[in-house]
Amino acid sequence: MKKSIGDNMIPKEWGFERGLDLVKKAGFDGIELWLGDVAWFQMTTTDAEVRDLRRKVQSAGLVVSNVSTGLHWASPLSARDPRVRAQATRIVERKIETAQLIGTAAILVVAGLVTDEVPYNEVYQRCLDTLRPLGETAARAGVKIGCENCNAEQRFLISPREFWQFLNDVNSPAVGIHLDVGNIHDTGFAEQWIEIHGPRITRIHLKDVLKHRGRCGDQSVYTNLFLGDNNWRAIRAALTKVGYDGWLIAEMEARYRYAPDQQFSDTAQAMDRLISGRL
Amino acid sequence: MTRRQFLATTAAAVSAGNRLRGRSPCVLLDLQRGCLRESVAGYTAVFQQRVVRADMPGIPHCAVLLVPAALEISPVAARAIVKCLHAGATVILESAAGFLDQRAFGTERAVLRDYFGITVEPPVRLWPRQTPYVDYLWPYAAKLRDFSRVVPLAPPAGERIAWVDNLPVALKRRSGPGTLIFLGSPVGPALWAGDADATRWLSAVLATVS
Repeated sequence: MKKSIGDNMIPKEWGFERGLDLVKKAGFDGIELWLGDVAWFQMTTTDAEVRDLRRKVQSAGLVVSNVSTGLHWASPLSARDPRVRAQATRIVERKIETAQLIGTAAILVVAGLVTDEVPYNEVYQRCLDTLRPLGETAARAGVKIGCENCNAEQRFLISPREFWQFLNDVNSPAVGIHLDVGNIHDTGFAEQWIEIHGPRITRIHLKDVLKHRGRCGDQSVYTNLFLGDNNWRAIRAALTKVGYDGWLIAEMEARYRYAPDQQFSDTAQAMDRLISGRL
Repeated sequence: MTRRQFLATTAAAVSAGNRLRGRSPCVLLDLQRGCLRESVAGYTAVFQQRVVRADMPGIPHCAVLLVPAALEISPVAARAIVKCLHAGATVILESAAGFLDQRAFGTERAVLRDYFGITVEPPVRLWPRQTPYVDYLWPYAAKLRDFSRVVPLAPPAGERIAWVDNLPVALKRRSGPGTLIFLGSPVGPALWAGDADATRWLSAVLATVS
């Protein structure tokens, strides 16, 4: 398995190239690029500029593990407004395009958003309708779409069997799951998600979760690796069992208040321990 | 809805379906890019083989004409719909004009006024709100999910058959020998999402067509 971390973790004042140096020195193999979340990678970033990002990543001795985005929270594929939905589709298409330009084979998509306004059945059906053609686009590009399990935030596809059924209904080999082991909270167990989805896992986000806090509190439930309630031995065993040998990507929501660069090396070391099974 | 009402409505819907099959078909007018596609999918899913899909310019003679979630009704389409009304059809005209920008809404509003005599107010965004329903009064009292935006009716209307947040959003009225049922809050997307209440309500509406 290889280690990656999001470029949205790079301290804002550092810039991309200095951030890449930090990521490399901390011991990561790659970097996850967050479309729309960082100044250097926006929807308006041109193809030439994207190629330049690729050169910078390669110069730093890294590769791009995948393309992610937080843009779907404002522009979900499940929006009722066809204009918003068109924008959401365009975001996914741009991720596919940039994945090709930048030399990675996976993108992350937050598939749908259930709200008090837009109910579950609508979101389910709308996500199927938008993801099926996007799956075809991704397949032609040689890119896999990983739908992230954002259980608590999405209020959608809460259980692993629901998610499994959803992927069956999408019915595209180019659409799988970008599994976040921290997002499951107290609705289940990450190791069971890994076991159920196995070969459909496109990438894995790593973070730990403090289940007792709940999502309604004013503090984040997420914390750094090994500080929370995830059963890391079981997660590691499940990865072995399903033969997952792909990218592990650190997604730290809780950030160090001081010495932010320290979090990169601490996280990389923790990931090394997880990969080696020294738990 | 009581069990008795439900059974009566269902039986009437089946009966109406048989009548429609025996006489003239139920036609769905697909406005293509001028409507919400998922509403077309919703009506199509509910009616399946019982509905004939039609594209402009040709609408076959029919007892019922469904116009799902119209965003932009061209004058040609409007004239064809009016022709159906004049031929005695019941037209269910569903508007999705609540999703249009100001300019496009102005155009659509003029079409509704000039061809159908319906005056609509500017779109209203319903959310955030306390309950997610539109209250229908006809053909029976029903709560159907709202679709985030509505176009309220301005007086004079016809028989107002649905309200949301004290705004009239649907009407029924005679139009020559035909009947026009205007829905300012799309029902088709709920049909498409498998909403049983929406399906039942629509069946009851069709059951009134004799």
